[in-house]
Amino acid sequence: MGESVRPHVIETVDLTMIYKSGKVEACALRGVNLVVKEGEFVAVMGPSGCGKSTLLHLLGGLMRPTRGRIFIDGTDIGRLGDAGLTEVRRKKIGYVFQRFNLFPTLTAKGNIELAKKIHGNGHLNARGAEEILEMLGLKDKVAFRPPELSGGEQQRVAIARAVINQPRIILADEPTGSLDSRNARMVLRMMRELNEKLNQTIVMITHDHEAAAMASRIIEMRDGQILHRAQHFAYEPEFEGLF
Amino acid sequence: MESLITANIRSRPTRTLISVLAVALGIILMLIVGGIATGTLNDYLQRTRMVGADFILQPSGSTVFYAFSGASLPIKLVDKLLEVPGIRAAVPVLAKFNSSDFGLVFGVDLEKYNRLSGRLKVVEGKESLQADEVIVDELFAKSHQLSPGMKLTLLNHTFTVSAICRVGSVVRVFVSLGTLQELNGTPDKVTAIFIQADKGDLSLAYERLRVAFPGFAIIRTSDASLLLQDTSMPGFKEFLLTVILVSTLLSFMVILLAMYTTIFERTREIGILKSLGASRWFIVGMILKESVIICGFGVLFGAGASAVIRKAIIAAFPTMQVSMSARDLLFACAMGLGSGTLGAIYPAYKAARQDPVTALSYE
Ligand SMILES: Nc1ncnc2c1ncn2[C@@H]1O[C@H](COP(=O)(O)OP(=O)(O)OP(=O)(O)O)[C@@H](O)[C@H]1O
Ligand SMILES: [Mg+2]
Repeated sequence: MGESVRPHVIETVDLTMIYKSGKVEACALRGVNLVVKEGEFVAVMGPSGCGKSTLLHLLGGLMRPTRGRIFIDGTDIGRLGDAGLTEVRRKKIGYVFQRFNLFPTLTAKGNIELAKKIHGNGHLNARGAEEILEMLGLKDKVAFRPPELSGGEQQRVAIARAVINQPRIILADEPTGSLDSRNARMVLRMMRELNEKLNQTIVMITHDHEAAAMASRIIEMRDGQILHRAQHFAYEPEFEGLF
Repeated sequence: MESLITANIRSRPTRTLISVLAVALGIILMLIVGGIATGTLNDYLQRTRMVGADFILQPSGSTVFYAFSGASLPIKLVDKLLEVPGIRAAVPVLAKFNSSDFGLVFGVDLEKYNRLSGRLKVVEGKESLQADEVIVDELFAKSHQLSPGMKLTLLNHTFTVSAICRVGSVVRVFVSLGTLQELNGTPDKVTAIFIQADKGDLSLAYERLRVAFPGFAIIRTSDASLLLQDTSMPGFKEFLLTVILVSTLLSFMVILLAMYTTIFERTREIGILKSLGASRWFIVGMILKESVIICGFGVLFGAGASAVIRKAIIAAFPTMQVSMSARDLLFACAMGLGSGTLGAIYPAYKAARQDPVTALSYE
């Protein structure tokens, strides 16, 4: 079909999302063109209601755009059926939410193992749940349930769950939004480690400039569009000392 | 995944318990009520056969449940029956329902009745049915603590127990035909006539009887399946079907309601599952497995409880019959599991169809 090769992990073309509730239409995204390269850590900033979460939900195949195309790992996911979209979520995407979204009835380990179970077996280098929890400093919290964990701990478990199947892309919607600054820093440091050591591509929404500074690129959004004055950040050495 | 299902089941213990109990109740209803109905019928039919008659003559349209039949056969029919070639004995009986112990009393002419191969086998006392005498079988004697010489009030009349006979007849209490006719206010009338043919071809005797008594029901008792076929049991099948329907509907509706409320409660969790890449089938499977586990416990508990209840009924009421074959058990369990699972299908379908983004923002 003469498709051009799409080498990028994420690419959107003229991505538009209009929510319809009754006769009222709300245009959340207006022709977003975005390219994220392999191994990038992108922070998305912008005022409330500018369409950040909408963008993230579309990138992860949780909903379909009104118009435009989304390529994930070269696949136009707009052309996939429900089963195909589900597979993209399962194989390529790991989500981290502001509200952690752990299963309250399962232990930390149980939450991670559920993600492994959904992903299916035959994943050769999948790590064990305990191993990854140990890496995230939660070795002695393996058998704890979310209500018995602090917010920071819960978010670390949620990150462990998102990365256990080694997806190519991590999508994080204000992952530090519910955390105090100490826990926020710990979570951010983890995200950067994942990005650097496992070469995972990360798109993270944040309202916090300090958090955004951890990213390799910041995208600013306004009113459903990306402002094209993207900056490339270098990690600032004086920050390192804080962790 | 298994642990998510068990965690869900454990997270709502009251809901789980009530669902399990409801499914169990359906099983108990099916097994006990159905068991009493079939047990009583089978026992009745078997004991009818043990009388040793080859045929039973009754007014057409009546049933072997003599309780509902009244006394409308003229006793003169006995002589006419004996005129039919190949008929050796014709024994008239009057059956009367005794509401005080929910059983039947037979009024018989003892000498005639004992010509049947199922004659009364007296184990204790004197074989005699004078005006106010009564013969009861061993089970009746045991449950009423009777022995020969003791008084027994039946149908507002005081009888004296003359003898105790072995279990093996259609009823457990016998009095003299004349006395019962008098008590019933129907002299010269009987309920049924037991007929014994000469040895040989029963089908020939059957044909002759049918020709000679066209307006009557002639029930063949020589063969269990023929007896069942000739016996009209108004509403028995319908009754059993109703019991099965009500009990399966109970499991169906309880599981439907329990799982339906459950998926609303777990809307957010279903959204999370979807964000983790769970397919629709995964979610459908999760809800179905959960309901199968709940129904499984209900079925096990119901079957166990039914067995215990059956034992208790038989211990408390020795004359009561509760049939519960392995087949009945399997059937009830399959119905319980099946209807519960069916009840979970709609909630599972609804859960699987939920929009992930909406579900994730559900409070
Ligand atoms: N389901 C929906 N139905 C209708 N309108 C919606 C829906 N979801 C979002 N919107 C609208 O779309 C716009 C973008 O919403 P979105 O959630 O993407 O914003 P956001 O940038 O993530 O905001 P915040 O920083 O507050 O999370 C908003 O104006 C919002 O009201
Ligand atoms: Mg948002």
